[in-house]
Amino acid sequence: MPTTSAKASYKKLPGVVELNETHLQWSQDGKAPSVRVAHSEVAALFSSKEGVAQVRLKVAVVGDDNGYSFAFTSPKAQSERDKFKAELTVILSRNRAAAEAAARAPVAPAVPPPVARPVVATPLQRPTLVSQTPSRAASVSSSEQRNVTIIPGNDPATDVRLRKTILMNDPELGALHRELVAMSGQLSEAEFWEGREHLLVSLAASENQAKGKPGQIVDPRPETVDGEIKIVMTPQMIHAIFDEYPVIAKAHRENVPSKLSESEFWSRYFKSKLYHAHKASIRSTAVQHVVQDDPILDKYLEKIDDELEPRRQRDERVELFVDLGATHEDHGETGNEKDVTMIAGRQRGALPLIRKFNEHSERLLNSALGEIPPAKRQKITNENYGQIDIDDLHDSESSAGIVLEIQDRQRYFEGGISNSAPEAARKPVDIKALILNAKVNMDNWPTNLSQLKIEKQAGDTALLSMTKNVAARLDVKSRKNDIPEALFRQMTICQTATNEFLRQFWSSMYPPAAEVQVVAVATPAQRTAKAAKMVGYLSKTQEKIDALVYMGPQHKVDPARIEIAMKPVLNAANRAIAFHRTKTSTSKPAPRG
Amino acid sequence: MKFSIDDLPIVFPYDRIYPEQYAYMCDLKRTLDATVNASAHVASHYNHVARVIASWKCLLGREKTVSLLSLIVSYQQFYPTRRKLIYCSRTVPEIEKALAELKRLMAYRVECAEGEEAKAKERSFMGLGLTSRKNLCIHPEVSKEKKGKVVDARCRDLTNSATCEKGRAEPGSVDLCDWHENLGQMEPGSLVPPGIWTLADVLQYGRDHGTCPYFTVRRMMPFVDVIIYSFHYLLDPKVAEQVSKELSKDAIVVFDEAHNIDNVCIESLSIDLTRPMLDAAGRSIVKLGDKVDEIKTTNSSKLLDEYAKLVNGLRDPSDDDVEDGFMSNPLLPDDLLTEAVPGNIRKAEHFVAFLKRFVEYLKTRMRVLHVVAETPLSFLQHLKDITYIERRPLRFCAERLQSLIRTLELSRLDEYSALQKVASFATLVSTYEKGFLLILEPFETDNASVPNPIFHFTCLDPSLAIQPVFERFSSVVITSGTISPLDMYPKMLQFTPVVQETYPMTLTRNAFLPLVITRGSDQVAISSRFEVRNDPAVVRNFGSILVEYSKIVPDGIVAFFPSYLYMESIVAAWNDMGILNEVWKNKLIFVETPDANETSIALENYRRACDNGRGAVLLSVARGKVSEGIDFDHNYGRAVLMFGVPYQYTESRILKARLEYLRDAYRIRESEFLGFDAMRNAAQCVGRVLRGKTDWGLMVFADKRFARADKRAKLPRWINQYITETASNLSTDMALTLSKLFMRGISQNPEENQTGISLWTLDDVLKAQAKQKALALEAKEEEEEDEFGNGDITDQMLIDLDI
Repeated sequence: MPTTSAKASYKKLPGVVELNETHLQWSQDGKAPSVRVAHSEVAALFSSKEGVAQVRLKVAVVGDDNGYSFAFTSPKAQSERDKFKAELTVILSRNRAAAEAAARAPVAPAVPPPVARPVVATPLQRPTLVSQTPSRAASVSSSEQRNVTIIPGNDPATDVRLRKTILMNDPELGALHRELVAMSGQLSEAEFWEGREHLLVSLAASENQAKGKPGQIVDPRPETVDGEIKIVMTPQMIHAIFDEYPVIAKAHRENVPSKLSESEFWSRYFKSKLYHAHKASIRSTAVQHVVQDDPILDKYLEKIDDELEPRRQRDERVELFVDLGATHEDHGETGNEKDVTMIAGRQRGALPLIRKFNEHSERLLNSALGEIPPAKRQKITNENYGQIDIDDLHDSESSAGIVLEIQDRQRYFEGGISNSAPEAARKPVDIKALILNAKVNMDNWPTNLSQLKIEKQAGDTALLSMTKNVAARLDVKSRKNDIPEALFRQMTICQTATNEFLRQFWSSMYPPAAEVQVVAVATPAQRTAKAAKMVGYLSKTQEKIDALVYMGPQHKVDPARIEIAMKPVLNAANRAIAFHRTKTSTSKPAPRG
Repeated sequence: MKFSIDDLPIVFPYDRIYPEQYAYMCDLKRTLDATVNASAHVASHYNHVARVIASWKCLLGREKTVSLLSLIVSYQQFYPTRRKLIYCSRTVPEIEKALAELKRLMAYRVECAEGEEAKAKERSFMGLGLTSRKNLCIHPEVSKEKKGKVVDARCRDLTNSATCEKGRAEPGSVDLCDWHENLGQMEPGSLVPPGIWTLADVLQYGRDHGTCPYFTVRRMMPFVDVIIYSFHYLLDPKVAEQVSKELSKDAIVVFDEAHNIDNVCIESLSIDLTRPMLDAAGRSIVKLGDKVDEIKTTNSSKLLDEYAKLVNGLRDPSDDDVEDGFMSNPLLPDDLLTEAVPGNIRKAEHFVAFLKRFVEYLKTRMRVLHVVAETPLSFLQHLKDITYIERRPLRFCAERLQSLIRTLELSRLDEYSALQKVASFATLVSTYEKGFLLILEPFETDNASVPNPIFHFTCLDPSLAIQPVFERFSSVVITSGTISPLDMYPKMLQFTPVVQETYPMTLTRNAFLPLVITRGSDQVAISSRFEVRNDPAVVRNFGSILVEYSKIVPDGIVAFFPSYLYMESIVAAWNDMGILNEVWKNKLIFVETPDANETSIALENYRRACDNGRGAVLLSVARGKVSEGIDFDHNYGRAVLMFGVPYQYTESRILKARLEYLRDAYRIRESEFLGFDAMRNAAQCVGRVLRGKTDWGLMVFADKRFARADKRAKLPRWINQYITETASNLSTDMALTLSKLFMRGISQNPEENQTGISLWTLDDVLKAQAKQKALALEAKEEEEEDEFGNGDITDQMLIDLDI
C-alpha cells in the first residue's frame, strides 16, 4: 500500500496525516509523529457530511471510542479525505472480519481463522510457558543470561504491552516495579516477573476472548441537529442493517450505483415505506399513511408479518420438553373463547416487533454458536435423565470408598465380635435395677445443687484477661493511623521491597514449583548467584530500617514504634540471611571434598 | 434406597430423601389404604360410597412427581390386585417428563430387585403415555397436516373399520394406512415389549417397526399398569367416553399440577358458537341431506338397518371400536343410551330436517343486537315456543349424528366439525338445568360497531365435570405445588377430602428470595390496575425493573404479564421509550407470540442462550402458553418478575356469571375468588423457577397490591413464609440491593451438610419411623393406663421400649 498523506490539523495544530502500510500517523509540522494508530487498532470511522465547511475524519480506536479527529485543511480536502476514507474502510472491514473469525473460531476449530490472529487455545488446555526469541525487555537485562518468559502465540511486543497493562492496572505492583526495577535496578525485569506468569496468562486470555456481536438491534433514529432532522449513518450501521434485513441488502445490490448513488439510496430509504415497515416501533403502522410512494424501493416491500401465524412457517420440531404446540394439539378445542385481554395477538402492531426480537436474538445466538443441528432437535433423554434428575438426592459418598485390604479379614472381624459380643449377651440388663439406681442417684438433687460452688479465682482471671484483650485491641484501633503519610509510605515501600527480595530469595533456594512449566529452568549456578545477590539486598534491610527509625523523630513519631512495626520484616530478613549463611558454609566444603 | 412404610416396601430411586417427600408418601399410602378398606366394608353399595381422596401439597415439581410415582408403583407391585394408575398432567412436556421419571424409576427398581423372578416382575411393568393423533402420527402425508382436527379426520378415513374391510377385501381399492395395518397383524396386548415408553420412545419404535404409535398406545391401554395423559382425557366427557371408558373402577387417579383443575372442568363443558360456525353447520346439513338421498336410492337397506338399531336403543356395544369413535355424546347416563331414540329423529331425513330447523333457530337468535343472558331452561322454553323442538330429541342429538355419519360412511370429518359442535351444544343444553348459562354477545368489544355475535354456552360449576370421576374411581389424588388456599378446592369441586395436607418445606438455606416492589426508584407507586397501567411513569418503572435486573442477574430471567394485551402494548411502549435497548445490552430478548410453534422455537433459543451464558429475558403471560408447564429451573430462570397482579378481566360477562354463581351456590365471595385466582396464578408463575432444592432464584412481585396482607396470605405458605416484613414493601433500588446481597450469599458453595435436616438417609428414615411408632405407642399407653396418671414411668412402657 503506497503511503497516502494529506495536510490535516489535529487538536487545532496544523500537521500532516499519513497512512502507510502499518500505521495511520499524524505529525505536527516539522515534528516527529505524535499520533500513531496501528491498522489493527482502527475500530470505527466517522466523517463529516459532504459540503460542510470543515472536512473532518474521525478514527475510533480499539478501547478508546473518542479516537482521533482530523480536519483536512488543504484546498483539495474533500478528495483527500475521501481517499483516506476509502482506504481506512478497507482496513476497518478487514479488522471486523478478523474479530468475527476469532469469535467463531472456538466453535468450529477445524476451520482455521482467515486472519492469523492468535487464539489462545481452548480453556481446558493450560497455556505452557516457553521462552522464545529474546524479547526487548530481555535484551535490556542481557547480563542475566535468561529471557523473560513469554506466552506462546504472543510476540515480545505484545508481551511488553501485557506487562505494562498489568502494572498500570495494579498500582501497588506498579509502585513495586518502579522501585525495584526501573529506579534502583535491584531486580531485573525477568526476575520481577518470575512467579507472576499467571498474571500475564490470564490477561492474555481475557484479551483474546473475542467479544460477541452487540445485542442491540440496529435502529437508526433521527436526531435533531441545529434544527435539522438527520439520521447519521456509519459504515458499520449499514453493515448491520444489511445483516438484519436481507431485503435492503438486495435492494442496495440491485440499485447502487446503477440507478441511485449511495447517499441517494439511503435518503430515499429513510423516507420510504420500507423503512417504516422495518422500523422497530409500534408507531410504524400509523406513519404508513404519511409516507409517499417510492417506485424503486416499494418493490421490496413485504407483507407485514402481523398475522397470528408467522409469515415464515418453520416446521422444525422442537424438543418435546419445550414443545408448546404439542400441548396445543393434545386435545380438541374446549371451552369458551378467552376474554379480550387474553387473546394473543390482538395488538397487531406489536406482532412484527415481537417477531423481530425473537429473530434477532436467534440470529445473534446462531452467529455465536451456529445453528442447531436438526438431528439434535428430536433427541430426547435416551438413558439420559439429566433434565429430570435431582442431584442433591444422590449420595455423594456412596462410591468414594476404597476397600481396605487386611490379611485374614474374616478373622479380624470375628475376633472383634467374639471379644465383645458374649460379654454383652451374658449380662442381660436389669432395667429395674438401673432405674432404681438412677432414682437413688437423683435423690437430694436440690440440696446438691444449692451446695454447688465454683472457684472464684479462675473466673476472675479469665474475665480480667478478656477485658485486657479488648482494651488492647481498642487501643491499637484508635491509634492506628497516626504515622504521617510520607513516613508511612516509606515504611510500606521498605516492607514490600524486602518482601519481594525474600520471595526471590526463597524461590531461588527451593526447587521450582513443578506445575509451572518453565522450560528454561535456571541452572543451579544461576540460582546460587541470585540467592547471593538477594542476600546482599536483604542484609541492607537493617540499614534501611535504621534510617527509618532515625527519621522517626523528624516526623514526631516514636522511633520505638517504627522499630516494632518493622520488626517482623527484619526477623524474616535475618532468618533468610542466617539460612543462607549456614547453607553456604555447609555446601562450600562439599566441592572440595 | 429401600425402606418400608407400615408393611409396604418402598423403592425410592435416590440415595437420600427429603423429609417432606417421606411425609407425602406416608399420607399417600394412607389414602390408598383408606379406599381399600372402605370398599371392603361397603362392598354392596360401593357405587354410592365411592371415596374421594385428595391430598394437597407443596413440594417442588419433580420432587413430588418422583415420590408420588415411587410410592404408587411400590403399591402396585406389592399388592396382588395391581390397581392401575391413571396419572393426569396438564401439558405434553409434563406428560413426557412424568414418563421419563417413571422410566428412570423402573430402571432403578429392576436394578434393585433381588432374584431373577423379581427382576422379571419389574421388567414386565408397563407404562405408556397418550396424546393426540397429531402428536403421534408418523404417516408421511397425514403427519404433515398443521391442524390436529385435520389429522384426526384423515387418519379416520384411512383406518376406520369400513374402509379397512373394503381395503382388505380387494387390496388397492382404497387407501389404507400401512402403519395401522401392520398393527392389525400383531397379537393384541403385545404391540410393544413391556417396559416404560415415553412418547418419544413410542414414536421411535413405530418408525423402526412400521407400526402406528397412536393405535399402539390406544390398544395397549387395557394392558398397561400406568397410563399418563392430560386432564381432558378424563374430564372432558366427549373424550373420556372414547378413551377412558374401559378403565377399571379401582384405578388410582392422580391429578398432578391440579391448581387449575376447576378451569379444565369448566372448559370441558363449555361451548362457543359463532355465525361462521352456524353457516358451516348449515352447509354440512345440506351435504348430509344430499348424501341421505343418494344412499336411499343406492343402498336403502343400510338406512333401514340403522332405523332398526335405533329402535332398540342407541348403543350397540359391539361396534364401539377404537378406530371408529370420532365423537361421542357429551354425557348421557347409560340407562338413557339403551332407551329407544325418539321417533321424530329416528329416520335419517327427519333428523336432517330437525337439525336444519335447530340451526336456523340459532341463526335468528344471533341477529339480536343486545346482550342476552338466560338459563338453559328458558332457552329450551323459547325454542319450543318458536320451533316445537322438544327437549328429549335434543338430548339425543349428538349420539344420533354420530350414528348417521357412521351409517353414511362419510369421509373428511373435519369438514363436519361445526355441525358436531352444534349437536354437542344441543345435547348439553338439554341435559343440564343448573350450573350453566347462555350468553349472547353481539359485539366483540363494548365500542365495536360491526356485530360479530358469539353464543357462549358456559359452564359455571366445575363440580359437574369432575363428579363422574369421583363417582367412578375410588382413589383420586389432587396435588400441586401451588395449591393454595386448600379449602377453596373442596368447596368448588364439591367433595369431602379424606386426607388434606400441606407440607412445609425444609430448607437449610433460603434458596429463593421473594420481594415485593411497590414503587419505582422515583417513589411512584406501580400497579397493573387498569386505570394506571398505561401511565408512562408506571410503564417506565416496570421497564427499569427489567433493565436493572437484566444487569445483575446471571443467565435467564422470566417476566410475566397479567395479560397478552398488556404484554403486547407494553413491549411496544418499552421499545419506543428505548428501555429495551438497555436490556439488549445485557441480555437477549424473547417474547411469547400467538403461535405455539413459534413460541417453542423462541423458548428453545432462550434456553440455548441461558446454557451458553449469554443470558436472556423471556417475556410471557401468566395463564398463557408458557406459564403452563414449562419449567425454568436452574440457569433457565434465576429471576422471575411478575409485573402486576394477574387478575382476570373483570368486565368479562362469563366471569361475572361465574362469580355470581359461586356466590349464590357456594357462598364464595367475588373478591375472594378473584384474589384467590390471581394469586394462584402468580404463585404458579413464580414457582416455575424453583423446581428443586439445589435450585435458587429471585421472585419479584412488582405491584403495590402485593403488599397487602390479604393478597399475600393467599400465596402458598412456602413462598409466603419467606417474605419478610421489610421485603414486602420495597422500591426498585432497595429491592436491587437486597437481590445483590442474596445472590452473593447464594453463590457460595453450600458446604454445610444438609443430611439429617432437609435430607434424610435411610437411617434417618428408620429413626423417624421408630420415633413415630414410639409416639403412637405413647399415645395409646396414655389412653389405656390413665389410672396411673401420676407421670411415673410404668413397667409396661419399659418393657415395650425394650422390644
